[in-house]
Amino acid sequence: MPDEVRRRDRLIGLFLLALVLLNPPLLMLFGGGDTVFGLPLLYLYIFAAWLLIIATAAWIAEPRSSRARRGGDG
Amino acid sequence: MVAGWFIILIAAGYIGLLFAIAYYGDKRADQGRSLINSSAVYALSIAVYCTSWTFYGSVGRASQSGIAFLPIYLGPTLVFCLGWLLLRKILRVSKANRITTIADFIGSRYGKNAALAGLVAIIAVIGVVPYIALQLKAVSTSFTVLLHYPAVGGMADGGPDSYFHDTAFWAALCLAAFAILFGTRTIEASEHHQGLVAAIAFESIVKLIAFLAAGLFVVTVLFDGFGDLFQRVAADPELTRLLRFEATGGGFNWITLTLLAMAAVICLPRQFQVIVVENVNERHLDRALWAFPLYLFLINIFVLPIALAGRLTAPAGVDPDTIVLTLPMAAQQYSLALFVFIGGFSAGTGMVIVETVALSTMVSNDLVMPLLLRWRRLGLADWPELAPFLLKVRRMAIPFLLLLGYLYMRLVGESYALVAIGLVSFAAVAQFFPAILLGLFWRRASTAAAFVAIGGGFLLWIYTLLLPSLAGSGWLPIAFINEGPFGIALLKPYALFGLAGLDPITHSLFWTMLVNIGALVGISLLTEQSALERTQAALFVDALEHAEAGRLWRGTAKLSDLRELVARFLGSGRAVEAFQDYAGRRGVGIAELAVDGELVRHAERLLAGAIGTASARVMIATVAEEEPLGIDEVMRILDETSQVIEYSRRLEEKSHELETATAELRAANERLKELDRLKDDFVSTVSHELRTPLTSIRSFSEILHNNPDLNPDKRREFLAIVVKESERLTRLINQMLDLSKIESGKPDWQTVDVDLAEVAREAAAATSQLFEDRSVRLDLRLPETAPPVAADRDRLMQVTVNLLSNAVKFCPPADGRVALTVASDPVDVTLTVADNGPGIATEHHETVFEPFRQVGDTLTAKPQGTGLGLAICRMIVDHHGGRIWVESVPGRGAIFRVRLPRRMPLARAV
Repeated sequence: MPDEVRRRDRLIGLFLLALVLLNPPLLMLFGGGDTVFGLPLLYLYIFAAWLLIIATAAWIAEPRSSRARRGGDG
Repeated sequence: MVAGWFIILIAAGYIGLLFAIAYYGDKRADQGRSLINSSAVYALSIAVYCTSWTFYGSVGRASQSGIAFLPIYLGPTLVFCLGWLLLRKILRVSKANRITTIADFIGSRYGKNAALAGLVAIIAVIGVVPYIALQLKAVSTSFTVLLHYPAVGGMADGGPDSYFHDTAFWAALCLAAFAILFGTRTIEASEHHQGLVAAIAFESIVKLIAFLAAGLFVVTVLFDGFGDLFQRVAADPELTRLLRFEATGGGFNWITLTLLAMAAVICLPRQFQVIVVENVNERHLDRALWAFPLYLFLINIFVLPIALAGRLTAPAGVDPDTIVLTLPMAAQQYSLALFVFIGGFSAGTGMVIVETVALSTMVSNDLVMPLLLRWRRLGLADWPELAPFLLKVRRMAIPFLLLLGYLYMRLVGESYALVAIGLVSFAAVAQFFPAILLGLFWRRASTAAAFVAIGGGFLLWIYTLLLPSLAGSGWLPIAFINEGPFGIALLKPYALFGLAGLDPITHSLFWTMLVNIGALVGISLLTEQSALERTQAALFVDALEHAEAGRLWRGTAKLSDLRELVARFLGSGRAVEAFQDYAGRRGVGIAELAVDGELVRHAERLLAGAIGTASARVMIATVAEEEPLGIDEVMRILDETSQVIEYSRRLEEKSHELETATAELRAANERLKELDRLKDDFVSTVSHELRTPLTSIRSFSEILHNNPDLNPDKRREFLAIVVKESERLTRLINQMLDLSKIESGKPDWQTVDVDLAEVAREAAAATSQLFEDRSVRLDLRLPETAPPVAADRDRLMQVTVNLLSNAVKFCPPADGRVALTVASDPVDVTLTVADNGPGIATEHHETVFEPFRQVGDTLTAKPQGTGLGLAICRMIVDHHGGRIWVESVPGRGAIFRVRLPRRMPLARAV
């Protein structure tokens, strides 16, 4: 149970982080039309942030290897 | 021009493949080897979220307003971050109550209210129709575009083309057949549609690969990678504008779309169907939490590049919603274009199939059944078998829904972009979101409030989005939008009460949510909930705390009635099976089942799976007479609960006390064990001590007995040994008697005033022979008289003699010296015996006073005493309230001190 609570709390924290990263005003900050290596900054930023959030969610939600086999994934 | 029959053949072949997969999936499920019991399939099936909207519409949107298409996919990502909290709760509740649709969910949460569930079903049907229309439009548009290959553009605006309408119509028919075959196979809707889900998961793979293929083709073949593409975009100021955040329509718009998508990913009937109803294992959610957002990420990564490429290369007049298809066509890549068409086709068909199945369940369970039960209850109650009838309702609902979608497409859809149509649907189902969210976390959210909230929000949605869309298509006078109804400017649907400057979706969402959330919170705060509402609310809010919180039930029912009722909806074979299962779990025969609340609830849940919770409740009420829960009853239950709490608190206290007592007992037990061990030691030592003199007495007696002619000297010597050993034995026994007498605490002593100096002198005299024998010098350092102590004189004498004889024993044979001193201070009188023997090691300073603890190796050296002397001394001194101890450094002699308290003058006065 403590493990479940920890994962739940981390996911809630991730939700709040995602809320900030994926919304204005941060998007306005990166959406000024700048480019990095010829690629638009806004496009790069939003997909990078998105991928970061997905990876973190995977890291939190995915059963750890020690208990991965218990109950199985089916 | 490509032959239409070829495209149709390919599409039909694809549908055939879906049929095969679904058929195989169902077959595997029947054999018990589920195809969909995997988190990957679960995540893929949730990706039914990505429809033609995503496939064609996003690109169209991106080509007009940059990354404005993204919030629709970021919203679900956010919701899935909360999946652990939100989705899991919905899953638990729905599984525990056999909830099969979103209408059922809301109705069940708010007191199993049939009217509320019906309202939700109506809104879902009306709200989702534009969404189905969107899919049909996309399918037929893409078909038409492909048909005119290699001509690009031209037919983009649709128009009264016979092909156009026919494709949509025939596609709708095909999909209806598929949905009926695999979506309404059996009656118990909570049974999973395994074949259907397998097909949907397959479609998700197809549309993803098709879109990625198109994207890779555009970026790497049409252009020289991302860098090249964006370089050419940078040269065009009109396109550079798309890469700025302002292009999306501003922050308000962005946030609105995110919120809408967050609501839609739960509230859309098909999303609820795949996430909740078709979920076979709660653990699958763990992986879907990130796998589904990852899918969204992948399918969106090429949207903007394709859109920009379309703007750069496509000729004017091309419908932006078809760019993804026209780009490969313009590059003469016919097979790729065909593959992209199939991808878009799969996106559209997947959505339509699941959506219509979910809606048909809703229509039959939450609209048709309750109405029939209410209006024709008598007629319906007489029907022996209702299961086939239910199936018929669902099978008729599916083509009906598709027909509605087709009509909407013909009437309205042709003049709007895909995303615009879809957002209208999102705004409609978003009306459920507050009721669901608050219902899950706020106990007080009440039925009346939910009814007004959802109904009010829906009416406003009609006014601010649906009616204007009809007006925009020419079915209502356009003045309705521009000047307001009857020319009342304040009521203009896109600028209600003068709120101008927002885009229609944001505008509508603001007003509907203001009414919706306002009514839900406000009315909940102002009204009281009924008992049933309360119990249902608790069931939902506490879903994660208790696996299954039982609802209170009091009443009477007959087992045969219940069985008959369930059999009518599920079929008799299935009903018997269900009851046998239930009885088996309780370990009784089916006839011996007690009709209690538990059984009635079980029957109700069985029915709920087939006809929805609200209808199930009505049906159960026909056979089970439930007595309403009176206020007395509730108070009694509350009383009981608080009593139970009190008991448990007391129990905790008691158990704490018990723990303490147990610890004490354990300590006492340890002590007893130690004492027992000491006693055993003592007994064995005593026996040993007794045996030694006895052995020598016996052996010398035997020698004397067996050798009568022993010479007299020897004989005398042996006899002397026998006498000496007998004396030692006697002394030992006397001392042991002494010891036990003192130990038992009842020695018959006479306490008198004793002068220790006098006692010392007498003891010295008594032992003088001993000192002479060993030629040890005895120094007496005694005062004339010492202050009196209250004691038994003989006992003190015994102590002193004992100490003196001990000292003699341990003195070296030559130059042995012993000093006997008596000194006094205002409190005590101290008697000291010091010798110049080998001394006693510090670790033995205490043990010498224990019985039979002679210092030194008893194995090699002959014991020089009984081993009880010092023990007796200590007991005597202790008894007199004094203290005896030894001070010694090995090699420098030992000093025994006895300190006794002076008799208090007070005692004399008494």
